[in-house]
Amino acid sequence: MSCTLGEVKNRADFIIYWGGNPAECHPRHFTRYTLTPKGKFIPRGRKDRTMVLVDIRETMSAKAADIFLQVRPGKDFEMLSILRALVKGQRVSPEGVAETGLKLEQLQDLVNRMKAAKFGVLFFGMGLSMTRGKHMNSAAALTLAAELNAFTKFVAMPMRGHGNVTGADVIMRYTTSFPFGIHMGRGYPRFNPGEYSTIDLLVRGDNDATLVLGADPGATMPKPAIEHLKRTPTIVLDPKVTHTSRLSRVHITTAATGITAPGTVYRMDEIPLPLSPPLKSPYPTDEEVMRRIREAVQRKEPWYPVKSDAPQMV
Amino acid sequence: MLRIRNGKVYDPAHNVNGEVRDVCIADGKIVADVDASARTIDATGMIVFPGGVDVHTHIGGAALNFARGLIPEQHRKATPIFHSPERRAGIIGTTPTTFATGYVYAGMGWTTANEAAVPVLSAKHTHEELHDTPIIDKTCCVLMANNELVLDLLENDEHERAKEVVAWYVWAAKAYGIKAVNPGGVAGWKWGKDCKGLSDVVPGYKKVTPSKIVAALAQIADDLKLPHPVHLHCNNLGAPGNASTTIETMKVLEGRRAHLAHLQYHAYGGDDWFTMRSAAVEIAEHFNANPNLTCDAGAVLFGNTVTVTADGPWQHLLYQLTGRKWGNLDVENETGCGVVPYVYKEKNVVNAVQWAVGLELLLLITDPWRICLTTDHPNGATFWRYPEIVQLLMSFEFRKEQLKQFPDSTLSRMVLPELTREYTLGEIATITSAGPARTLGLTQKGHLGVGADADIAIYNESTDVAKMFAHPRYVLKGGEVIVEEGELRKSGLGRQFAVKPQYDESIEDYLRPLFQQHYTMSFENYPVSCERVHGLEVQPCNYCGTPHR
Amino acid sequence: MLTLTLKELTTVPLEAEALCPDMLAGLSLEAIRALPVLLGKRSLRLDDFFSIEGEGGEDIEIRGDLVKVKWIGRGMTRGRIRVVGNAGMHLGAYMKGGSIEVTGNATDWVGGEMSGGSIHIAGNAGGQLGCAYRGSMSGMSGGTILVEGSAGIELGMRMKRGLIAVRGPVRDFAGLQMKGGTIVLMSGAELRTGAWMIRGTIISMKPLRLLPTFSHACDYNPMFLGVYSKHLAKLGFSIPHDVHDGTYRRYTGDAAVPGKGELLVWQPR
Repeated sequence: MSCTLGEVKNRADFIIYWGGNPAECHPRHFTRYTLTPKGKFIPRGRKDRTMVLVDIRETMSAKAADIFLQVRPGKDFEMLSILRALVKGQRVSPEGVAETGLKLEQLQDLVNRMKAAKFGVLFFGMGLSMTRGKHMNSAAALTLAAELNAFTKFVAMPMRGHGNVTGADVIMRYTTSFPFGIHMGRGYPRFNPGEYSTIDLLVRGDNDATLVLGADPGATMPKPAIEHLKRTPTIVLDPKVTHTSRLSRVHITTAATGITAPGTVYRMDEIPLPLSPPLKSPYPTDEEVMRRIREAVQRKEPWYPVKSDAPQMV
Repeated sequence: MLRIRNGKVYDPAHNVNGEVRDVCIADGKIVADVDASARTIDATGMIVFPGGVDVHTHIGGAALNFARGLIPEQHRKATPIFHSPERRAGIIGTTPTTFATGYVYAGMGWTTANEAAVPVLSAKHTHEELHDTPIIDKTCCVLMANNELVLDLLENDEHERAKEVVAWYVWAAKAYGIKAVNPGGVAGWKWGKDCKGLSDVVPGYKKVTPSKIVAALAQIADDLKLPHPVHLHCNNLGAPGNASTTIETMKVLEGRRAHLAHLQYHAYGGDDWFTMRSAAVEIAEHFNANPNLTCDAGAVLFGNTVTVTADGPWQHLLYQLTGRKWGNLDVENETGCGVVPYVYKEKNVVNAVQWAVGLELLLLITDPWRICLTTDHPNGATFWRYPEIVQLLMSFEFRKEQLKQFPDSTLSRMVLPELTREYTLGEIATITSAGPARTLGLTQKGHLGVGADADIAIYNESTDVAKMFAHPRYVLKGGEVIVEEGELRKSGLGRQFAVKPQYDESIEDYLRPLFQQHYTMSFENYPVSCERVHGLEVQPCNYCGTPHR
Repeated sequence: MLTLTLKELTTVPLEAEALCPDMLAGLSLEAIRALPVLLGKRSLRLDDFFSIEGEGGEDIEIRGDLVKVKWIGRGMTRGRIRVVGNAGMHLGAYMKGGSIEVTGNATDWVGGEMSGGSIHIAGNAGGQLGCAYRGSMSGMSGGTILVEGSAGIELGMRMKRGLIAVRGPVRDFAGLQMKGGTIVLMSGAELRTGAWMIRGTIISMKPLRLLPTFSHACDYNPMFLGVYSKHLAKLGFSIPHDVHDGTYRRYTGDAAVPGKGELLVWQPR
């Protein structure tokens, strides 16, 4: 249940931000897409929209909101569960409601508003998707939006982090069927987040070499993962020296995509945007480096998988 | 240079029906003769077909890619493609990866495919996927029937400008034709509504109705002399009793050209799910009487699949019926899209009727040139199951065998048991290659005359038709031997065909301010540049109004 | 009996679905030694990693720290595997029959989508015990998993039938989207137990922190527990059911779905 950002701009009269701080993290979100612009069916811009912010603390974004709902830390999943139940007119336990730090009336009011909206949208950030419950929190947000379509038009969209995460996700999907957490060891793609996802592989120490492209795991990952990156050969491709570069065996400086290298970036709604670099770089592009690594690997004794008959192998 | 010797040749475009003769190839094209030094493939005891052409399939683009991400459980059970010197790794299954799509199409002798639903906003992405779909040649159609800039013009009866805008969009997307999905209904879906009847006013408008959109787009395609007519997914898809909407649509078209996509989904009688029955007889009767129309079957086969369509409202209904997963992706100003995994079950009466209707239409529509074999991949079944449908069409006995599994109460809702027609090999070559090529207006495809692209499938003649068509002995694409002794030996890039219909460049001055207002992408970034479409070949827009044959 | 001893712990996990009675029964020792296993992308021989003794049969003992050995007993239908040490991921996945016993700990995905047979872990288990693989509509559909230690997140996710009993503490989302079957928690669980459950029974001997979408139905001593406790006692898990000792507090949910699952929480007298 998603849509492109233009749909939000043109139609959304009810916007929820959950576990994100767009005022500071996605500064152009409000002005370009969601809040202030006049849209085709939103002639008065901000005046025609209602904005709700759900977060554990009153951030800068709360100032922009019409309604701010402060949920207790770690209670997002519970709050989403209550909303799902209320949407369907189910009973919820009063003690459980109290634990979220909100009143039943506030939650019922939110449900009424969601149902009364002409076009609702729920943006959820890392405050939801990266806290306790993780993918289940995201699943709860997506399911809530899906179920609201029995009453009105409602969509949900994750606010992704920086870099071209969406682009990587899109391309992995059409070449392998899977967005991330892919294992090619058997000669064809397999998928199992938790088993093959980068962070889990590194934490368990299941890989014997790492190539890092457009990321800085050395700055963000837990200690055991960083230790493993240090222990095993790590190669970093990046325009600048990152935390990961410092613990890697090899760092290759590359041109910065969008500034000195051309390419395509995917917006969070999976719309591709071409990048035309304004400057030139003395460094090769990521693509060039990867191509040369590949050519060098191809000069070695080729390896091809032994076909195995292992259906349903994950 | 190459000579295919002594094959039984089926070339319906030239009335060649199983004659034993040679086919000669030079520089990727069919030629009259080659000298004795040419390589020879001995095709004695084999049949020679022009390479298959798929007129309606979903093989790449944001919607299909969304579907791929939604069904890891199906990929896990699907056939993998192992990484090898000739092939990139991938997964086949219900939504094959791009590389797998090329290998599998070519591996069963199909060499051209039309991706039937592309939003212009994400066309750059579609072209990336099509580039990574090897071997086969590709075309694509852009979604126009719910484009708000176009609908706004129709609201004000500005037909001439609408034509210019559509032409601009087609070239901006580097597309080959115009697609219309549930005209007006998807625009309504953006408010959670639909447009079921042809004269319902589209939500958000005062005058625009589906019939107005259908008529306008068909006229535009004709006026722009597009090689392929408007590619129409009618309103009210999948609903019991929708045959009346379909017949009404045929009337609205009034002699204009149109291609009715996946007609099976639009040929139901009855009033609700309990009384739903086949209306193939009525539909075929009207269709036969309207020579301006072509269609594709959109046949259904039992089993697991995933439905992917720009028809958002239908997908929401399907989600409510199945209670399983649902993905929806609306595209600003242009279209929507929905994804729902689905299993067609023999025991489900509705599914059984759908299965029958696809075959009934193929058997009741008398002119094989006007109906193409499709399953609306992956909606009715995956494209690699086409040989199963061929088998059903070629044998009345086999159909009778299949029908035994249904109780009388189910059989009474279909006409299939009474249909004794059996397709000949020549007719199969027509519905899988010659007909769809002509429908698409691809003059170099679908035949074996001098000057045609040397796309050829060679099968070991066998009575086991399903097996024969699934595993060709040789496949040639552009004169190159891709499949040899039943094995995929080579893989190259295919081409992409587009059209540049005539429009006045000044239309950009009209569009630019509207973009600012309605889109979230800059006008300059919006069109797909020619350099981004690998292997682009621009085809002429010179349809001259002669009847279909 | 066939005895395999791991020679040394590898860095990269070893995929060894060959370690399964259905594969090994009837094979000569020579043939067993040559069976393929995958180390990363390389296909190697079983005896590159294990010293193998005894004779091929349905009774297999595997010794060593097998924490990086995946897919032991995958899809087995009969026989017995005894792991003396720790076991790696996907132990007994898709299992249909027979039994697996682990003397040490096991990691994630034990008994993934299993439909029969029994697994007994003497130590701790990881996450996704008896779980559905990504995207599947249902997880475990039969059989028994017993864990003497603790277990991780998403225990019994989407399970349809069968029994999971855990003596130690369990982490978040036990019985997530459960559709049937029984989960017994001897030491309770952390958060969000029974989230999104549709049907099925979760029995807890310790108080649970419930989701707000579960509501209290009644306090009682269900008849079926009398029968069930006898069955569990045979497996070494004794749960009280006598009215003199206390009652079970029954909660239904999850109303978010809405579902008709039940949580039975023991209230000692």
